[in-house]
Amino acid sequence: MPGSAQLLAFAEAVISTDPARLDAARMALAEKLSPATVTGASAIAANFSKNDRIANAIGIPVDQNDLEPTKAIRAQLGLNEFRSAQNTFRHFADGTTDG
Amino acid sequence: MSLYADTQYPVRDEVVAVHTRQLAGIVAPGTWGTGAQRRSVAVEARKAGYEAGLLEPSSGGPEVPDIELPEATRRVIRTIATSVHELDQQFCEGAIAQGLSDAEYVEIVGVVSRIVDLDVFARGIGAAPRPLPPAEPGAPSRERPGTAVMEYAWVPTIPNGVDGGEIGAELYHGQPMPYIVRALSLVPDELRAHVELEVAHYTRLDKLADYEYQHHEGLTRPQAEVVAGRVSALNDCFY
Repeated sequence: MPGSAQLLAFAEAVISTDPARLDAARMALAEKLSPATVTGASAIAANFSKNDRIANAIGIPVDQNDLEPTKAIRAQLGLNEFRSAQNTFRHFADGTTDG
Repeated sequence: MSLYADTQYPVRDEVVAVHTRQLAGIVAPGTWGTGAQRRSVAVEARKAGYEAGLLEPSSGGPEVPDIELPEATRRVIRTIATSVHELDQQFCEGAIAQGLSDAEYVEIVGVVSRIVDLDVFARGIGAAPRPLPPAEPGAPSRERPGTAVMEYAWVPTIPNGVDGGEIGAELYHGQPMPYIVRALSLVPDELRAHVELEVAHYTRLDKLADYEYQHHEGLTRPQAEVVAGRVSALNDCFY
């Protein structure tokens, strides 16, 4: 995927405590893709910074219809180990059935 | 002058309009908080961000809160703003046990999450947080939706379908909505503002499952998901 390394680096830097790292990541992304993608990536990072806070603070579970299709990738990426996973698994014991 | 006239990166006019409305809405009377209280919530969230090194203040320095919020409320704000990994059921129940109503808690979650959203965007394009307008006078509406009930979250939410009543039909446009849309439904105006940012920053709701649709210039949906997934993983967000 074009620019994937720069997008990952930017996503990490924009929520980090290192402004120099962010400056470098921003320049690298603009150079690799375009200046407009810096704006787009900033909007997406911002949106999920919002959504992650809402989800974790309100304790919403993953919607049941989304559990079965994501079972393999959740296990592969270790997402079930996230602290916030308990918001889902307290209702859906094995991630697929109503517990 | 455009809200982002001082930055070198292009910001679409509709995004500027949404951000301008969001800032004005944060400092206006809400459902449970006055304009001064809500503006002070946003100022406290920013202050926590500066102290944590997650934000860089503008040359004018940090803004000053309109009122002194209770210490327990300030702790809630600061934790939501800077410690997303620490948000759990104990945190939510503790906030309510210390004096916030469930709906006040939801409104604070909404305001803090939205100001973080706006500030992360600005930081991404190399800009300082945009100034908050002065607080608007007036009283909060104190309208609690009658169809909100305890479902699977820690606070009541408005259900999908007929159980959500007229307010649910209006908020969800007659369609079943995922929990991330319904999370703030105990305070409908916060849900509306959250969705407005979602559409401006991520994608149109009717295009969520359309992986060919491109919402941002130069970024395909898979490229957008690289950013979204990495941010949420770093924020320890299972959802």
